[in-house]
Amino acid sequence: MRVEWKELQEKSFYQATARERAIGLVDEGTFREFLGPRDKMVSPHLIVLGEAVEFDDGITVGVGKIGAHPVFVVSQEGKFVGGALGEVNGAKMAYTFKLAMDCYEALKEKYGSVPEDRKPIVIVSYDSGGVRLHESNAGLVAHSECMEMFWKMQNKVPNISITASSIGAYGAQGFVCMSGDVVLANDYGRIGLTGPEVIQQEVGKDEFDASDRALIWRTMGARAKYIMGDVDFLLPDTIGAFREQVMQIAHMPMAEIAKYRHLGTPDLVEENLSVVKLAGEKGFNDSKDYWKYMGMKDVEDIPEMPQEKFLKIAKRRQRGI
Amino acid sequence: MALTELNFEFKPGSPKTLVDEWSHVGVVSSGDLEVLIEKGNAYEGKAVIRVMTTVLGFDSVWETVLKRIVETTGLSSVKVSINDNAATPAVVKRRMQQAIANGGGLQ
Amino acid sequence: MAAKPKILLGKADEAIDLIFDEGTFVENKIANTYLEAELAPPVFAGEALLDGKLCTVLGNFSKRPNPRFRVVFNGVMGMEECYKFSQAIYATIEADEGKPLEEKRPVILLIDTPGNSPGKVEEIVGMTKATASYQFALEDARHAGHPVIGMIIGRAISGAFLCHGLLSDRIISLPKDYGTIVHVMPTTSIAVITKIPLERLNELVKTNPVFASGAEFVFKLGTLNEIIDTPEDIKPTLLRNIDEIRELKKAGKWDQLGIWHRGALGAERGGREVRQTAINKMDKEFKELLPSLLE
Repeated sequence: MRVEWKELQEKSFYQATARERAIGLVDEGTFREFLGPRDKMVSPHLIVLGEAVEFDDGITVGVGKIGAHPVFVVSQEGKFVGGALGEVNGAKMAYTFKLAMDCYEALKEKYGSVPEDRKPIVIVSYDSGGVRLHESNAGLVAHSECMEMFWKMQNKVPNISITASSIGAYGAQGFVCMSGDVVLANDYGRIGLTGPEVIQQEVGKDEFDASDRALIWRTMGARAKYIMGDVDFLLPDTIGAFREQVMQIAHMPMAEIAKYRHLGTPDLVEENLSVVKLAGEKGFNDSKDYWKYMGMKDVEDIPEMPQEKFLKIAKRRQRGI
Repeated sequence: MALTELNFEFKPGSPKTLVDEWSHVGVVSSGDLEVLIEKGNAYEGKAVIRVMTTVLGFDSVWETVLKRIVETTGLSSVKVSINDNAATPAVVKRRMQQAIANGGGLQ
Repeated sequence: MAAKPKILLGKADEAIDLIFDEGTFVENKIANTYLEAELAPPVFAGEALLDGKLCTVLGNFSKRPNPRFRVVFNGVMGMEECYKFSQAIYATIEADEGKPLEEKRPVILLIDTPGNSPGKVEEIVGMTKATASYQFALEDARHAGHPVIGMIIGRAISGAFLCHGLLSDRIISLPKDYGTIVHVMPTTSIAVITKIPLERLNELVKTNPVFASGAEFVFKLGTLNEIIDTPEDIKPTLLRNIDEIRELKKAGKWDQLGIWHRGALGAERGGREVRQTAINKMDKEFKELLPSLLE
C-alpha cells in the first residue's frame, strides 16, 4: 500500500476518502489501522439482506502519532451506506475510544501522570447519517457506547470532532459530534439531529422544505453552526489545514482544550438553555432571524461569500452563561 | 435480492507479481467497487479472484474483463478480492489498474 | 377469560400511581431544588417514594404540549425537555453529594417517548446538544453512585431512547402485550427505506433480531437487561435492581453495569457476536502497538 502523504496535505478534505483523511491527519508514515481491509470483517447483516459490503465496513480506525502524542483516529466513509453505523463499524468506532482510554491509563502508569506533550488525542472525522437501518438495533446501541466513552475521556483525552465531508454529522452522529471537546469544520460541514427529509416527512413542508438547499445550509451548515458557537474553528478545505489545527490543539494543555466543550456540566446546561429560551421568546423560525438578532447585516450574502470574508464579519454567540 | 459470489482463476502467459505485499483501493459506493490484492505463495503463477457483487447475471462480463486485465498486465501469484456495487466494466478496469499501481506496480 | 392487559403507554400518571407509594410524587422538586414549572411541560421531573425510599423520577406526559415549540407533543423529547431532565439529574447529584453509596437516591426513568423533536428551530439552536447534555448528566449520576434504571412502559424509540434510557445502569421492559414499542423504526418503514421487501424482512427477523422491532428481539442483543410479565411486577423488580446495582457499585464492579456491560450480554445471548469478534481483534492489534505508543 502506497500513500503519498505530502500530496494528501494539499488534497481537499471533502473529496478525500475516509482512509486518506485518517492517514493525512497524523504524522507522515505513522498511521496504523485496526481491523483494516485485509481483515475482511464485513457486516454479516448486509450480506443477509443482499446489500453490497465493504472490507472495512465503511470506517477507518487506527492510531498514529503527532509528535509524541498517540492520536486515535476514527474516520467515517459517507460513500458506503451513508457512513451509517451498524454492528461492525459501530464496534470499531466505540472500541477505538476505549483503546484511547487504555493508552491514557498505560501512560499514567509509566509516567506517574500523563505528560501534556504525550497525552493521547482522539480525532473523529464524521461522515455519517447515524444508525444504519439494515442493522438498526445494533447501530443504535453503538452510539450509546461511544457516548459512555466520551464521558470517560472528558478532561483526560482531547476529543476533536471534524465535520467536513459529504454527509456531515447527522442523526445520532450529530450529538456524538457535538459531544467532542472541540469542533472543526470546512464550509461543507453539517451538524444536525433530524435530517431535512425526515422533518418534512414527520411535520410537513411548512416546517421544513427539504428541497430548499439554501435553507438546509443556513440551518445545519458549518457557517450557521460557527455563528451559533457550535463549530469552534472554520477552516479551508485541505487535509493539511485540518492537520495544522489539530496540531495547535494538541499543543494546548488539557484544561485549556476542555474550555471549548459545548456540553457536559451544569453550567453548560444553563448556557445552552439560555439560547433555547431566547429562541422560544423571540420565536426564531429561520437562522436569518438569529443572525439579524446577533446584529449581522446582509444576512442573505452569508452563505455565499468567501470564507475569509465570512470569518471577518461573523458575529458569533458569546460563550458562557 | 442476494449478493452473488463469483470465483475466477486465471494464469497469464507472462506472469508478474505485485511489488508490495498488498494493495487496496476504492470505496463501495453506488456504481463503484473496492479492490484488494494480496500476494501469497499459495497462488503461484495464478490470479485467484473472488467477486462479491449486488448485480445478478453478469458472470461472463466479469470473466471477460478480469481475464483481459490479468492477461495484459501479467498479474499473478495474488489473491484479488472485490466488493462491487454495480460498477461498469470501465470502472472495474480503472480500479484494477489503480490497485496494481498502488501496490508499487508489477515486477 | 383473561383480564385485558393494562396498557401504560401514554399514561405516565397511571404508571406513577401504580409504581410509587400513594400520593408521594412531587413534581418539579428534587430535595431542596425547585425546577421551573413552566419549563418543558411535556415532561415531568420530580421525586417520589418507592417502598419508602426517595427516588428521582423522570418521564413524559404525552398529553401536555410545549407552547413554545410546536413539534414537541405526544411525549416527544425536545430541547427544554432534555435540559429540564439535566437540571433534575444535577440537583439529584448535588442533594446526595458526599453521602455513602447506599444513600444515593435511585433515578427512575419511566420511558415512553416516540422521538426527539423534529423541528427547524431545534436544528438551528441545537437539539444535538440538548440530547447529549442529558446523556452526559445521566452518566454523571451513574458514576456518582446513583442507581439509574430505565423502565420501559411504552415507547422506547430511536433517538429518544438513546437520549432517555439507553445509558442507564439497567433497563427493564414490559413485554409487547402491554403495548411497549422498542425499535429504531418499524419494519414497514425499514422496508421502504432499504427497498427490501417487507415479507423478506419479516422472514429474516425470525433468525436475526438486529433490525427487528420489539422488546423480545432487542433483549437478545443485550439492549435490555430484563423483560417482566406484568405492570404489577414493576415495583418489586425496581427494588431488587436498586439493591443489586448498589451492591455492584460498592464492589467496584462497574463492568457489570451500563451500556458496555449490555454489549457483553448481547454476545452471551448470541445477538451481537460479531461486535465481540471485532473488539477482540482490535485489542490484540492495540496491545502489539502499545509499547511504541508509550515511547
